[in-house]
Amino acid sequence: MPEIIIRTEKLSKNFVSKDRKGFRSKKKKVEALKDVDLEIEEGEIFGLLGPNGAGKTTLIKCLTTLLIPTSGRAWVNGFDILTQDNLVRASLGTMLMGERGLYWKLTGRENLDYFGALYHVPKKVRRRRIEELKELLELEEFLDRSVETYSSGQKMILAFAKALINEAPILILDEPTVTMDVPTARKLRRIVMDLNERGHTILYTTHLMQEAEELCDRVAIIDHGEIIAHGTPDALKASLVTEETITLEGVIPQKVTEDIRSITGVKAATVTSEEDGRTSVSIVTEDSRLLLPKIIEKVVGNGATVDFIKPHEVTLEDVFIAKTGRALNVDTRVVAEREGGPSGR
Amino acid sequence: MAVEKLGLTRMSRRSNLDIVWTVFKARILIISRYRGSLFLETLIPLVFAALPILIGLSVAGGDAAASANFNRQVGTPDYRLYMLLGAVTFVVVSIMLWIVGFWIRREMEMGTLEAMYLAPAKRLYLVSGIATYAFLRSLIAFAIALGVGSLVFGVNPFQGEIALATAFLFVGLIPLWGLAFLFGAFILKVKEANSVVNSAQWVVSFFMGVFFPIAFFPPFLQWVALSFPPTWMNNGVRAALQDLAFFFGTWYFDLAVLFVFAAVVPFLGYSFFLRTEHHMKKNEGVGQY
Repeated sequence: MPEIIIRTEKLSKNFVSKDRKGFRSKKKKVEALKDVDLEIEEGEIFGLLGPNGAGKTTLIKCLTTLLIPTSGRAWVNGFDILTQDNLVRASLGTMLMGERGLYWKLTGRENLDYFGALYHVPKKVRRRRIEELKELLELEEFLDRSVETYSSGQKMILAFAKALINEAPILILDEPTVTMDVPTARKLRRIVMDLNERGHTILYTTHLMQEAEELCDRVAIIDHGEIIAHGTPDALKASLVTEETITLEGVIPQKVTEDIRSITGVKAATVTSEEDGRTSVSIVTEDSRLLLPKIIEKVVGNGATVDFIKPHEVTLEDVFIAKTGRALNVDTRVVAEREGGPSGR
Repeated sequence: MAVEKLGLTRMSRRSNLDIVWTVFKARILIISRYRGSLFLETLIPLVFAALPILIGLSVAGGDAAASANFNRQVGTPDYRLYMLLGAVTFVVVSIMLWIVGFWIRREMEMGTLEAMYLAPAKRLYLVSGIATYAFLRSLIAFAIALGVGSLVFGVNPFQGEIALATAFLFVGLIPLWGLAFLFGAFILKVKEANSVVNSAQWVVSFFMGVFFPIAFFPPFLQWVALSFPPTWMNNGVRAALQDLAFFFGTWYFDLAVLFVFAAVVPFLGYSFFLRTEHHMKKNEGVGQY
């Protein structure tokens, strides 16, 4: 049975943040993590999913010892994050701030050498490792140029290389593909899978559900600082099989969702705006065939135009919608503001 | 292939020294890519010393009158060398302090501070790398500014007890490391460097007695000035080279005080830095800027 390599017990993190209006500011307490219990097994790719502001980065910052939790405990690679923080950091290769965190006046090679030294990687080993990473990530073209001349994608790849410099047993990748073009993101995901096959445990945060489904052995969905669901992607999707999801596309006003939710048998409804100005509404129901006429009546009655109706396969996004009642692209902090409650970050 | 428990990390005394060297080397590489900044840095003390010299000349009504007045008040007629020594010593102090402060601020803004905090490198070695770099830069600036300044102002700095002046300079640099830690912690907390440096610049030069003996202060301010290690360094260098009075009358008592500062201030500064860092990690973290 695989060992637990990352474990948290009732991990909580509160901040004091300031709301500013002009020259005035008001302090408020932010509960970024609430009693998070998590177990990640050695050798798996574990996805941490959630919208912006849900608490993903705060959890990662606690695990990487950048933040001290308000309460609770956590262990990484068997080391306590509070009392053995240096060994925790030595166990991790972390990509946290995307292209930030690089010295722009240094070359890619100088950056890797610098951070390798900070990870106590001996000089000779560092040189060999940089050559390995050059091959693996195809850095040849730009490794000896100043980082300030890099494209955004090249900076992200170098940041990824930096996370690999110490060949740590655990990799923490926080939204690593967020500014990458499609082919580069695909290449990075392939490398992540290769690294996992070689024995690295990977904690991968994303708000892209397809990415999580493609990569992760298990996922946890986090919202408002709480883990609201966890398991394998298949198991999470199977939990919704008793429910059906249909999507209506067209020009649909936001207020329709309230009317749809009022229909008995509708579990959740959420409107998403598309880039072309159109909207779609995803509805989770107990029996779509039975409820569809009522739904259409409500939608059309609100002045909406429906162009297309499609049933679709259950995705992790649907799991999120079923658990929270809203889509992933809605920032948790904005929702918290609206609801007057605390938010994650 | 099995992954090792700590990957390629091999913590040792040697790897700690490697961190100091790598941080130092990276700073040298970065500054070498900002051409001109080192050159400009050496001009600062010349301008800094020229101001009071010219004011002195204009107030006293000529060089002879200025020398006579200065001799009566301070104990040496060579007011140009006095100002130049004060200015170059002040540049050493300010480079040591401001480099650490600006370094923390820049790293915060660039995101590299968090990247460093992700690594298992102890702060002591990171900041030692920076302090070593600041130490080298300040000594280079000191040497060049003193050399060029001596030519410009027509003074001879190689008189008096040169070895003793060097001892005051080097021992005085050690408590500056501690003050740099204190200053760095303050910048970490307030997340602002420019305004802090701009205002602290004048406070530091005032209390160091860059252009006048601190005996001119009222008693309370004299005590404040004497609690500041660079005041002892500045006075020691001048007293050794210009045959002026030491605070305690003899050089060894003054140097002993500087040694006490050297033993205590780095420890206090580092402890304060770690406390500030811990406090920040308990709230929003060091990466917020």
